[in-house]
Amino acid sequence: MFSAYHAMAADSDTFSIPKVIVSNITNREVIFGGEEALLEALDRADAENPALISVVTSCVPETIGDDVEGVCASHSAAERIVYIPASGFLGGSSQDGENIALIHLAKLAEPAETIPKTAVIIGEKNLESEVEENYAEVCRLLARLGITVSLRFCRNISAADIRKLGTADFFIIRDERVEEAGRSIAERFKRPYVSSFPNGLSGSIRFLREAGVSCGMSETEIMEAVSAEEAYQEEQLSIFRELSGMKVSLGFEPFAGCHAVAREAMQRLNISEAADGMEIKLPFYLPVGLSGVLKMLYLWRREKRR
Amino acid sequence: MRQIALYGKGGIGKSTTSANLSAAFSEKNLSVMQIGCDPKHDSTRMLMHGRWIPTVLEQMYEKKDIKEEDIIFEGFGGVRCVEAGGPEPGIGCAGRGIIATFQLLEKMKALFGDVVVYDVLGDVVCGGFALPMRDGYAEEVYLVTSGELMSLYAANNISKAVARLSGRSSAKCKLGGVICNAKNMDNEYELVNEFAERIGSKLICYIPRSKSVQAAEVNRMTVIEHDPTSEQADVYRKCADSILNNTDFRIPTPLTLEELEDLARKYL
Repeated sequence: MFSAYHAMAADSDTFSIPKVIVSNITNREVIFGGEEALLEALDRADAENPALISVVTSCVPETIGDDVEGVCASHSAAERIVYIPASGFLGGSSQDGENIALIHLAKLAEPAETIPKTAVIIGEKNLESEVEENYAEVCRLLARLGITVSLRFCRNISAADIRKLGTADFFIIRDERVEEAGRSIAERFKRPYVSSFPNGLSGSIRFLREAGVSCGMSETEIMEAVSAEEAYQEEQLSIFRELSGMKVSLGFEPFAGCHAVAREAMQRLNISEAADGMEIKLPFYLPVGLSGVLKMLYLWRREKRR
Repeated sequence: MRQIALYGKGGIGKSTTSANLSAAFSEKNLSVMQIGCDPKHDSTRMLMHGRWIPTVLEQMYEKKDIKEEDIIFEGFGGVRCVEAGGPEPGIGCAGRGIIATFQLLEKMKALFGDVVVYDVLGDVVCGGFALPMRDGYAEEVYLVTSGELMSLYAANNISKAVARLSGRSSAKCKLGGVICNAKNMDNEYELVNEFAERIGSKLICYIPRSKSVQAAEVNRMTVIEHDPTSEQADVYRKCADSILNNTDFRIPTPLTLEELEDLARKYL
């Protein structure tokens, strides 16, 4: 089986693609029920002794009322099986599917002792654009507070690591798309959460404050990290002083929030917005932290120099 | 070819009525086929002298090269008996099973004869069970009901399905009438007769409760076969005549729940 998913994974150099086994529901299973077919598929999966078997349902078994959860629970490999009810016909979107998958996978983890000053990121994807660059930026910011990222859920995470989710001192939700899952997981483990990756310049400062508070750090410790980051932002922005005084036109906003991040950078660099200004490119995804802003400014500078 | 379908609440006596009507049709030297459209597959059992015949859905997936003799069995009076079958209770989709059965019978060109009787499960619970009247199979629908409110409620619901489906170009079905399979309630004839008129149809026959039905079933036969000279056998014969002579097919006008309850209260 080779799908668009596999093609995208190959395109982004992701080669650890989980094996996909289908229960192969035909007219016969629709009429007589697909539970036996699922059982056979689970046996086939179990024979390969994987650490985790995710059972993702399509519309048909949910429509005919197969007891997928019951079949999974009664299988000899039940402890390694996670049932993810993902049929879309009940009105869900792909976003709902992502949240459901995260919430159900997180059930593998039991409550655990907190490891101080560790964060677990919820909602990164294997096929996300610039995922490693964004992760590096988040780590850089957290390092100012002495916080490390212990797990990335899901970013090539193993089943063994999913079971350790409960050790997080706090959670960082990737973005609002997975907020439902993030909130649900944080509530389950009774830990605080930061609601999104840092967006732009002021977003980075806000992120530092929220992360520090989530870890129970003192105001003095947090302010120290904030001051250091503000100074670093100034230093890095000064590289782009040649853009000062420019008039630009932002045009189409490719991703909600991009304009706000761009305008903040423009204000810091004394760039004004005008309808007849130079049309500048905006990154397709919301710039994460200072590094995302700098990448955007490099693009603007290149256009100006043309 | 006359294609008639009997619909009604579960347990109201559709299979008993269908089997006795098929037996009565066969007495008139008509070529008759009865198709049980219920996963519990007992529609034709009395015609088959108690034999549980293999169902279409069982055979469909057990035999690679399925033949007519695998699914059509000759019962009393030469009635060709078919059971659609279906899943065990609580699993799968029985409605899809009905669709698959008809697709196979169609492919095998097995639907022929002077009269085809479709005995369809309880209520029109999903699109699959509406298929016999939806895709041009059943041309005449008969509602089997007693005077009990829930039985009338089910019959009224089925009339809603008939009204909806009869407007479609692919459907040929119309309501042929109401069959009262009596429970010996007070004023039952009057109640069911008025119900039939109020939905724009008529009472096609009244089948009184009779011990001869139970006696025949215990002996794994239809009344027509077991006790051919009984009054009850004559009731079924007259019912069969009424259906064969019926030319008055209507699009029903179902009642509201309030109207139905008022009607039932009137004959208490």
